[in-house]
Amino acid sequence: MKINRYILASRLKSIVIHTFLILVSLTCLFPLFWMLRSSLMTNATIFVDKSLIPHEFNIHNYYLAWTEGNFAVYCLNSLIYTVSVVFGIVVVSSLAAYAFSRLKFPGKNIFFNMFLAAMMIPLPGSFVPLYVLMNKLGLVNTRIGYILCMINVGLSLSIFLLKTFFDKMPSDLEDAARIDGCSKLGIWRHVALPLARPAIAVIVIFNSLNVWNEYILATLLLNDKSLMPLQRGLMVFQGVHSVDYPLLMAGLTIAATPIILVYLSMQKHIIKGLSSGAVVG
Amino acid sequence: MGKRFLLVGGVFSFCLLALVCTRCGKKAEKPANAIMVWHWMTDRNDAFVKLAEKYEKETGVKVNFELYAPSDAYSQKIIAAAQAKVLPDIYGILDKKEIIASFIQSGFVADLTEEFKANNSAWEKSLFPKALSVNKFETDNIYHVKPGIYGVPIDVTNIQMLYNRKLLKKAGIDQPPVNFKEFLTAVQALKAQGITGLVSGWGELWMADCFASNYAFNIMGESRVMATFKGDVPYTDPDWIKVLSIFKDLQNKGALAEGIVTKANKFAEQDFALERAAFAFNGSWCVNVYHDMNPDLEYGAMLPPPINGALPMKIWGGAGSSFVVNNLSAQKALAINFLKWLTAKEQQAFLSTETRNLPANQEALTQIPEILSQFASSMNNTTHPTIWPYNEDALVIEAFDKGIQSIIIGEKTPEQVAQDVQTVKDRQMAKKRSKNKS
Repeated sequence: MKINRYILASRLKSIVIHTFLILVSLTCLFPLFWMLRSSLMTNATIFVDKSLIPHEFNIHNYYLAWTEGNFAVYCLNSLIYTVSVVFGIVVVSSLAAYAFSRLKFPGKNIFFNMFLAAMMIPLPGSFVPLYVLMNKLGLVNTRIGYILCMINVGLSLSIFLLKTFFDKMPSDLEDAARIDGCSKLGIWRHVALPLARPAIAVIVIFNSLNVWNEYILATLLLNDKSLMPLQRGLMVFQGVHSVDYPLLMAGLTIAATPIILVYLSMQKHIIKGLSSGAVVG
Repeated sequence: MGKRFLLVGGVFSFCLLALVCTRCGKKAEKPANAIMVWHWMTDRNDAFVKLAEKYEKETGVKVNFELYAPSDAYSQKIIAAAQAKVLPDIYGILDKKEIIASFIQSGFVADLTEEFKANNSAWEKSLFPKALSVNKFETDNIYHVKPGIYGVPIDVTNIQMLYNRKLLKKAGIDQPPVNFKEFLTAVQALKAQGITGLVSGWGELWMADCFASNYAFNIMGESRVMATFKGDVPYTDPDWIKVLSIFKDLQNKGALAEGIVTKANKFAEQDFALERAAFAFNGSWCVNVYHDMNPDLEYGAMLPPPINGALPMKIWGGAGSSFVVNNLSAQKALAINFLKWLTAKEQQAFLSTETRNLPANQEALTQIPEILSQFASSMNNTTHPTIWPYNEDALVIEAFDKGIQSIIIGEKTPEQVAQDVQTVKDRQMAKKRSKNKS
């Protein structure tokens, strides 16, 4: 039998690529699997039982993690913070990015470069001045103080992403909207924003992840337990020297599930947002 | 679409406004009879809360314990709160003595010396002296802090040797070894039974350094160790070679667990808790860790078996966690009274039993579990680099610790390592001298 060399080569290439991708996927998924597996074990078995599937499923860990970690309150807080911060970032960054991209005003480049420079400063570097500022504004230990700080944290990257997107938007679309009687805000709302949907999806998922997993700034700014985000609940299972691994893993599974769902639901947009920047309109 | 957008925007704005209205400008009013404690000790939080409830019943003073963990985040919060002058009544400073000194000099920490000395030093005498020394600034200290006691230890810690009773028995050993020779014999007997001798987290260099330091004090005495740090005794001295040779002997006799030079302490803790090794070198915090991993573990604590019977075996230890009182607090007196109560015998025994940490109050030893009592009874043998009059240069310590690893893996001899360390020491001394001249 004559084998077509071209088909063989392409199949071989496909096998190599898929094997590589499967291996990469496994390395990404394995920690999640390990977390799930460990969350079903007990303290007595977690260090002894090396099997992939635990011999006994201890689902009670989830109940304990939920109640001992006070997850009901923290989940709600995290939800409030994530929704508010992401909404705030999308509104402010899209307005700012549109202005930086399409409007002409004095100091435009300086301001934009300042935003870019802000990306270079790691968050812990600004902790002390941020705390002092929030304290002077009377916003320490308030939800709004934390939300405003987190919006500020996410702005630089979001503005940068959206500006790059708006830069590629054809000016003909704007002109057409202007002829139809759109104001500058109207063009932003009816033309720029709908076109930037893939980029906004990227911003939503990146910032949702960032806010959902944030803890250090919350510890700094918030004092009341009732205001703390979900990550605070996980700390209960980590002693200074010892860790209650099964409960911690159950808590981590609870904490990670919503964000995994958000990611899965927006996956298509994210891929589009990352790859389709060149074709706008 | 437009209406929906406006609706979402409106709802969002309303929520933000509501949040602002409910919180903004509302200064938390603090009752006069209440004190606030900020801490980082997740494993002690429940016990603290129980004690606070008890204190409120007894005195009517409400104590609020606020937990901020992990310790890195806590430290950031304390520094930020200090800058904004909103520190709580009681807090801890998890940093070098240099930073503690800067807090004191900035007026954020109350001087508790008079309180400790009152009533014929009753409070001071009740606590382990070594625990207090970490919180003490001596006369003419290098930080130029007014001499005195500035912190209150709530527990103590030390690093010792642990032995597994069951495994020793299996090897026909009834009593733990009392000297290094006996230890090597015991290790040989264990090896014959296929049991690993000693495990420790020497992948974390400071732990190997601690072990070596214990034996340096035992072999050559504190004065000669300090003389070495000062530069008067070289690392090529026969006594230092003897210290380094311990690691060679342990390796040659097959006493060390496999991969000990790269083992992180948490993995070493797993090995001992799961009965994979008969001896461990670990801190008193291990009681908590072992209990979580294997509550049925039968073990005891002992001082590392000495080589030189003529000199004491010194171990690292001191205050575990300490609190300070905010000097700017309006509730300073209440805060001090609470700390006095917290460090009293009964509360210390409760805290120790509940949290499996060693009590700072030496009178509480009779009321705590045996293993904790064993650990705590050696508190008088403790020492720590933070209270030494001289400290070794960081680069020399690094060369020394890496040298230990080289000896264990058979890369270098103790003599070679001693020479390497001395070379680094000479270089650092020369740098120091030229810096002083300029």
